[in-house]
Parts: sequence; structure tokens; C-alpha cells
Amino acid sequence: MKLLVCIKQVPDLESRFKPNAEGVWYNETDLAWRMNEYDEFAVEQAIRLREQLGEGSELTVLSIGPERVVEAIKKALAMGCDNAVHIQDPAAATKDPWQIASIISTYAKDKNFDLIFTGMQSQDRGSAQVGVTIAEQLGIPCTTTIVGFEYDNGAITAKRELEGGIKGIVKLKTPALVTCQLGLNVPRYPTLPNIMKAKKKEISAITAADLLREEPLATTASFHPPAKKGGGIVLEGDVGTLVDQLIGILKEKTAVLR
Amino acid sequence: MPAKLFKGAEYLIVETDKNDIFTPEDFSDEQRQIGDTTEQFVLNEVVPLREEIEHHNLPLTVELMKKCGELGLLMIDAPEEYGGLELDKATSMLAAEKLSQAGSFSVTYSAHTGIGTLPLVYYGTKEQKEKYLHKIISGEWIAAYCLTEPGSGSDALGAAATATLSADGKHYILNGTKQFITNGGMANLFTVFAKIDKQHFTGFLVERNTEGLSIGPEENKMGVRGSSTTQVVLEDARVPVENLLGEIGKGHKIAFNVLNVGRFKLGAAVTGAAKVSLATGIKYANERKAFGVTIGTFGAIQEKIADMSAAIFASESLIYRLSGLIDDRLATIPKDTPNYYESYQQGIEEYSLECAIAKVFCSEVLADVVDAVVQIHGGYGFIQEYAAEGYYRDERINRIWEGTNEINRLLIPGIILRRAMKGEIPLQKEAMKAFESLMSPSFDELDDSVPFAAEKVLIANLKQAFLVLAGSGVQKFMDTIKDEQEILLAVADLAINIFAIESAVLRAEKILPKLSESKKASVSAAVKVFTFNGTEKAASAARRAAYYIEEGDTLTMLLAGIRRFTKYDATGLLKAKRQLAGASIEADKYIF
Repeated sequence: MKLLVCIKQVPDLESRFKPNAEGVWYNETDLAWRMNEYDEFAVEQAIRLREQLGEGSELTVLSIGPERVVEAIKKALAMGCDNAVHIQDPAAATKDPWQIASIISTYAKDKNFDLIFTGMQSQDRGSAQVGVTIAEQLGIPCTTTIVGFEYDNGAITAKRELEGGIKGIVKLKTPALVTCQLGLNVPRYPTLPNIMKAKKKEISAITAADLLREEPLATTASFHPPAKKGGGIVLEGDVGTLVDQLIGILKEKTAVLR
Repeated sequence: MPAKLFKGAEYLIVETDKNDIFTPEDFSDEQRQIGDTTEQFVLNEVVPLREEIEHHNLPLTVELMKKCGELGLLMIDAPEEYGGLELDKATSMLAAEKLSQAGSFSVTYSAHTGIGTLPLVYYGTKEQKEKYLHKIISGEWIAAYCLTEPGSGSDALGAAATATLSADGKHYILNGTKQFITNGGMANLFTVFAKIDKQHFTGFLVERNTEGLSIGPEENKMGVRGSSTTQVVLEDARVPVENLLGEIGKGHKIAFNVLNVGRFKLGAAVTGAAKVSLATGIKYANERKAFGVTIGTFGAIQEKIADMSAAIFASESLIYRLSGLIDDRLATIPKDTPNYYESYQQGIEEYSLECAIAKVFCSEVLADVVDAVVQIHGGYGFIQEYAAEGYYRDERINRIWEGTNEINRLLIPGIILRRAMKGEIPLQKEAMKAFESLMSPSFDELDDSVPFAAEKVLIANLKQAFLVLAGSGVQKFMDTIKDEQEILLAVADLAINIFAIESAVLRAEKILPKLSESKKASVSAAVKVFTFNGTEKAASAARRAAYYIEEGDTLTMLLAGIRRFTKYDATGLLKAKRQLAGASIEADKYIF
């Protein structure tokens, strides 16, 4: 059985972000990078399945981006993926989800992957479109935001997280694609021996231009911090006076009591 | 591979090129990942339990050590042949640094992986390693090292513990008391030093369940209260002869060589602790308001943050430069060399001076940092609910154990003189040259088109000052210089600050071209701030030494020379401090 897991490298979310010079994305200078959190759930679940299947199965990790994304790839290899594909693209951040998905589906088209794992969304762009679009472009079924996963003999049983805390159970047959949500599992730490062993695993490099066939469907018009709101008003004093003050303000400045 | 292999202490007489040093920016992806795994483990699994660990929940600590074992964190220094990873020292130091955020737990970890494991790795026989090493690197067993006694600490060879061969020749009978044994309360294997027939200082591997071995009560300590510190008492403890470690009468080799790595590792651990402590201080400065603004906007607070950041930059630069020195040398020893670990030991011993420097310098940086962080917290820094209070107490022991900072300082000139006597470093010749330059100052123009030109001239000058003073001391006192401890301490301070300043400057010079403009500004600011502070200390030490050694006209001449050799133009110092503090406050953490 052939498995694929797609990962993205994103900035550490505790970073201080500033828009870039073009004002359409963030400035990447001096940022620390790590694997997208949702993709860690995807990698962990893919590795668990790989371990369940044992010999004869193969798990490939794929990432698109500049040279730095190799570090995220190496982490996935150290966690337990068998081999890797680095689709080299210094300008990955300028591509829309449709193009990113099309790069991956063009790569995956003739590889006969039985199951593809992706994160539910990326922590930086957060479109949540890449996974589902890959499935659509490959013409395979897909289910999203999974928080439970079982596999048995070509059949997947996935638990999905729905609105309002409701869970849904979805069954689908391979080949298929699933997108992974927080709560699915607790990703393992790459152990030191596995980090060292991963050095010997193969990372094949492909240029993004060789796989890109599509024009973008959406462009980012502007990337900027939200406008600053005015400061709030803090009322102090005993409750009786506070109520009078509040009613006064509501009457004066809002329409609720008119 | 390095372009050049340096001898120990050689930095004092040669100029080092930036490309010949290792820096944290040179870590491989694998090293960074190992650092990451360690940090994530500590932040997610250990830090949340800090309170419980501090209240002496030893079973919890033992459990966490097993988890460390599963992750491979205990096998970094162990040979591959016995299931270890045998990674370089840079990796080992990075793990120690990341672990240090765990407070008391990091003490357990450091003692176990350092002085607990290394005697067996370096001196154990095949049988001993097969029997014990796997248990230790998997975390199944905890290890401890028993050298200190109630009556002997710094004078370790004055140990009173004895070992006597049993009548049937099958056991050594050990008697004595070992004091302040880290991990004592939970260790399963103890490396114990005792004198065979009251004269041959020798190491032994002693299992916990050995009859006659008992563990004293836990000491009630000022800091690192969650770690275990006990007496280990041996009363007719029968240790099988096959558990003798190394050679009879060669215990001092084990004791001292292991301490070299211990000191080095301590330097790495306190550097990590300093970063965490500083981050706590910066965060507080960003939250706490006084006079309507956050206190981080005040120059009084900013200056502390700048001084601390710059000192930690130096501390970090020094530790990884030393990792590089040792790793480069160890890499030249073929793994199939007979007596591999003997050559390996010699490789580390070569840098015993730098290991002592790392211990003293980095632990004192941490001391300054925790003090300033309490001060930033004001009254809250004195309250136990705030982390700053714990950092302050936990810090203190680092200037005492692994050889007090005084012992380590005294080692520094001692090693230099010994090497000079043996002809390993041309100290005398260089000192003569330095005396000449003392008489005939050069007036070369500063080439300020290259980065850090002023700092590089200063470093060369500080070395001249060192050579002149060391030379004067030896000339004046000859063999009895070893008894002039005040002079030795002052000369050591000079040597320490030279190594620290040089490490910071070389690292900055090496990484500068690859940095963004804002990072460049911060690194340059750190260099200026630290070089100024370090030079002030070096100059004070140099003057102290001069007054101790000489008088009259010679003293006047020495002082004039020192004034010239310690001159550093720190124009823009205030701007540099504000730049560094501003960047740290914006990032809300240590920025390098």
C-alpha cells in the first residue's frame, strides 16, 4: 500500500509578523520555522497506519517550498516516513491553494497512492482548500477535519468534527484523501536514534515549474494587520452608580435604549 | 573539517580565524532537531510538573528519566557498540542546554549523563559496559558519582574512603562516607572512589543493592530542591573485584578527566538556564507597568536587559567554540585505535583550561542574570510564586560544584605554566615579545573597513597584557608562584575574559554576512556591549595583578602598559545598549 502525507512549513506562531514590501504576504526575515501543526497530526496518523500495515507498505512525505522546508521534511522522516519529495519552489507563498493543490496532484497522478493525508489547513494561510482540491483533481473521495481514523482492508472509518461539538462517522474506500484536525492524535517526538537514522533516507527533489500547469484562481489583494480599535471605557465605583453610568452611556452613544 | 586544529591554551598566543571556530549557527539539521526534541520534551513533559518535582517527588523524576531514555536523550555520549549514539560534543551540549529549562530535573539528567555515565564509558571494561551501560542509557538505572567526602571536597585526593581486598581475593571491602551525592536517593549504580590499602586512589562500580551500602537522608538545600542529594555510606560494602574501574591507583585520572566534561557541560546547562531566566525578566518588563508605562521602556531596565543579552551571547559563543575545539580533535582519532578512549581522554584533557573557563565564565554570567531578573521583578522577585525567585536560588550551586570557581580559576594559570614548562606552548618567548612591545608601542592605524577591527586589535592587546603579567609573575616568584593565589586568580580572570571576548567577536564576525540588517545591528550591539563590559573586568584584573606582583618603576611601567593594552573605544555604547534592549523587548525573549 502506498501512502502520501503532505506537509507545509510555517512560521512559529509566536513570531512578530509584519507585511512584506509588496503588502500581499508576511515578511519572512528572521522568522523561525516549524512544521504546520495540523500536518503533524497527518504525519503521525500516516505513520501509525504505516506501522499497522508493516512490510510492503511505503510512506512518502511531500513538501513544497524553498530550501528551508527540508528541515520540516527531515522531521517527518525522523518521525517515521520512509522517503521524501521536496518540490522546490522559492515562490510557493505567492501561489494560491488551487496552484499548490495542482502541483501535488500532478505529482501524485501516476503514482497510485492508496491514501493521502494532509493537515486540515495551514496555520499561516488557513485556506483549508489544498487537501480537498487535491482529492477533486485526482478524482478520489475525501473527508475532512478528522478526529478519529481506522483502516481495515481498503476501508477507512473516519470520525469528523462537525459544528457545535457534533461528531460524524464517514466510511470511504481507498484510494482516498483525509484532512486531519486537532484531537486526532498526539504526534510523537522524533527520537534521537531515529533523527540520526533519517539522515540516510532519500529526499528526491523536483522543481515546481515541472509540475505547475495551472494559473491562480485567486490573488491576494492586500495583507495587513487589523485596524486598531479605540480603547474601551473602564467604569469604576459602587454598583448603583455603575448602572446609572452605563445606562447613560447606552442612551447617549447607542440605539439600544431609544 | 576544520582548517586548523588548535592546542589547548593556544588561543592566548595565536590569532584565531573566524572560519576556524564552531558557532551555534553551524548546527546541522540533525543537531537542531535533537535540540528541538529535547526542548519539546522539557516544555511539554517536565515543566508542567516542576512544582511536584520541586517537592521531591523522586519516583516522578525516575519516570521522566525513563522517558528521556526512550527518546534517546541518555545515549548521546555512549558508544554505538553498546547501543549508544556516540554523537559529537556540540550535540551533547545542545541537549544539556535545552534540558536546563527543567530546573531540578536537569540536575538529575546532567549528573546521570555526565559524571554518572562517562566513567563507565571511558574506563569500563567490555564486561562492565555490557553489564551496565544499556541499563544506564535506557534510563532503567540511574547513575551517580561519589567523589566528595565530608572531610574532602576540593582536595578530592584526600579521600578517606578505603578498599581492602577480601581474604579470598574475590571482593574489595569498601568503607567510608561520600557527601553531597547527586542522584543518591534514586541511583542504582554508583561510581565510588576509595583508596586501596589506604594509598591507591581507585574507582569502583558499586550497585545499590550491595550489602553494606546505605543512603543517607535527603539534604535540605537552598536551591535545585527537587534533585536528590544524599550521603552514600559504605560499611564493609563487598564489591566484586570485577567491578574495579580502570586501573588500581589511577582513580585520579577518572575523577579529573570526567570533571573536564562535567565542567564543560555545566557551562552549557547554565547558558540555557540564563536564556530562560532572561526571557522571564523580559516578559515581566513587557507586562509590568509603572508610572503608566511598561517598565521595559525605562533605560534602567533596558540597560540590564542589554548587558544580560550580550553576556549570554558571549557565554553561548564560548561553549560552542569549545565544542568545536574538542570535536575537531576527537574526530582525528580513528575509532579502531587500540585504547580509543585513552586517546579520547587525552583529546579532552588538551582543553582542560578551556573547560575550566567555561565553568567559571558561564556560571557567573548566570549569576549576574538571575540577580538582574529578580531586580527587574522588584518585590515580586522575592516571592516564591514567581519563577525569578527559584532561578535565583537554583543558580547558586553552579559556582560551587564541579570544582568551585576558585579551584577552577587556580587551575587556569596552573595549566598554562605546566604546558609552558613542557614546551607545549612558547609562553616564555611570547612573553619576551610582549615585554618588548610594552617598551615600544606601535602606532598602526586602525583599519576600520573590516568588521570589528577595534575589537580584534583589543583582543591582541589583551593577550599582550596577559603575557606581560604572567611573565612578570613567574619572573618574580619563580616556582612559588603557585602559592600566590591572589595573583593566580587575577591572571585567570584576564585569561577568562580574553577567551570570552574573542569567542563572541569571532562568532559575530563569522555569522554577520548571512544576517538580516536588523540582526546585524543586534549582533554588532551585543559585541560592543560585551566587549566593553569584558574589557572593564579584564583591565581591573590586570591592574590587580600588577599591584600584587610589582612595585616602584616597574609597577608604573606595567600600569602604563595595561592602560594601553586595555584601551577600547566603545563609542556608541549607549545606542548599542538601547538597540539590543529594544530588539529583545520586541521579541519578548533572548534574541540570538
